[in-house]
Amino acid sequence: MPERVVVTGVGVVSPIGVGMEAFEQALRGGRSGVGPITAFDCAGFETRIAAQVDPGFDYSPYVVPAKAVKLMSRAAGFAVAAAAMARRDAALPADGVAADRLGVSLGASGMGPADVDMVEGEIAAVLDAVRASGTVALDVPAFARAFRARTNPLSMLRGLPNIAAAHVAIQQNARGPNSTITTACTAGTQAVGEALRAIQRGDADVMLAGGADAMINPVGVLGFSMLGTLSRRNAEPERASRPFDRDRDGFVMGEGAAVVVLEREAFARARRAPVWAELAGYAATCDAYRITDERPDASGALAAMRGCLADAGVPPADVDYVNAHGTGTLMNDLMETRAVKEFFGQRARELPISSTKSMLGHMLAAAGAVELCASLVALRSGFLPPTINLDTPDPECDLDYVPKVARPCRIEAALSNSFGFGGQNACLLIRRC
Amino acid sequence: MSADPSLLGSGDLDEVIRRTIADVLMVPAERVRPETPLVAGLGAESIDFIDLVFHLEEALKRQIPIAHWTRFVEERLRGRDLATAITAEFVREFAEREAVS
Repeated sequence: MPERVVVTGVGVVSPIGVGMEAFEQALRGGRSGVGPITAFDCAGFETRIAAQVDPGFDYSPYVVPAKAVKLMSRAAGFAVAAAAMARRDAALPADGVAADRLGVSLGASGMGPADVDMVEGEIAAVLDAVRASGTVALDVPAFARAFRARTNPLSMLRGLPNIAAAHVAIQQNARGPNSTITTACTAGTQAVGEALRAIQRGDADVMLAGGADAMINPVGVLGFSMLGTLSRRNAEPERASRPFDRDRDGFVMGEGAAVVVLEREAFARARRAPVWAELAGYAATCDAYRITDERPDASGALAAMRGCLADAGVPPADVDYVNAHGTGTLMNDLMETRAVKEFFGQRARELPISSTKSMLGHMLAAAGAVELCASLVALRSGFLPPTINLDTPDPECDLDYVPKVARPCRIEAALSNSFGFGGQNACLLIRRC
Repeated sequence: MSADPSLLGSGDLDEVIRRTIADVLMVPAERVRPETPLVAGLGAESIDFIDLVFHLEEALKRQIPIAHWTRFVEERLRGRDLATAITAEFVREFAEREAVS
């Protein structure tokens, strides 16, 4: 039996708060992080709202030397800040672990240009090319000349999905295993799960694991909007993310990062580390069905939940709380409800399951990681974070979603679900220890 | 496009180089002196020279293929320790050559 792994530190950069104190307060207060998009002028966009990280938050103080920010996407900067916070929370000093026994596992976006200024360069280059050639058809040589003049070569490096994990490693001198998971909405959960496996295999004593994403840019918003997945409740941003509610109209994009410090339990105990919980179980599956449709019988999600609990050796009856994937899209709400009913049976009726995306928005590659952090806070501080905006439950969504307000509750074990585009499913289970 | 002739052979080019290096390496301009080694003194790494050439293009208002920089370094500094040999003065010499080429 593999050695137990514990969570000793947590760091969050989120739309509802930066740092654990603010994050916990917002979860407890049921505060929405959704507002009008301020990152760029989105006039004329169908969706003009998102859950943005406080524009006043500056990650540059977490970056040494200062010039390293030039090679960071916004997401990488968030990751570096969250990792630093998590490590501080874990009270793990620079010499607290051998550098080659410290690894990094991050969920990240694979979309390339993640930042507004990078997109602007490309758009400007296209316009220059069109002007130069006098035709709407893209003249590639003209585009190349314009792109070359407009685009800083460093932006290429900023856009690669693996660079955020590299920056975290550089900042934390983590010379052990370093990997990036790019399974979209499931990436953060899977990155934490694979970090658990790295420790269990003996590849590392400590892993910095989580996810980071920042796609609130014109291309990202238009892309999801054109797929019809985003809420258009522009007039009421705070009420826009409403998982399991009859009047939902899609998810709300979020951004940010969350990182946890995972340690071999014996390692953590030997250094008298603070322990949040045991990371007891993980499983990942794929629907192998359709890119944006889940299997109608929810079998992929079910298999992930079943595998996770089996991995932890925990029976369904011992789970006290489920942090739902809960995007607020019709298909996910119904499928996840069905999966939970099927898996937990009779117990599903009294098992609290909430969607913190109602407050955080959908942080995409960071979602699973930040939602794990929400469950860790819930377990440690004794309350269930609510599904806000659940005014009129969808008749087919008839579970206890912890509507509207947080609820005091002692949790022994919590399950965190992530089910993404592409059919990739992953679950994590934390247990009090 | 051609370089602004007023920059050439004057104190202005010194100032342009100093500011460009300071911007690229994100250090105070006072730390950039002609003899300052960019790697050993200011923490430059290979990618910073790509950035530096991009910014010199803007400052000199002309295109500078990165191969020009690579060749200049090879020709002038072959066998020397690049950590100490690439100074602000060296960058100025490169800029001068590019401006008139």
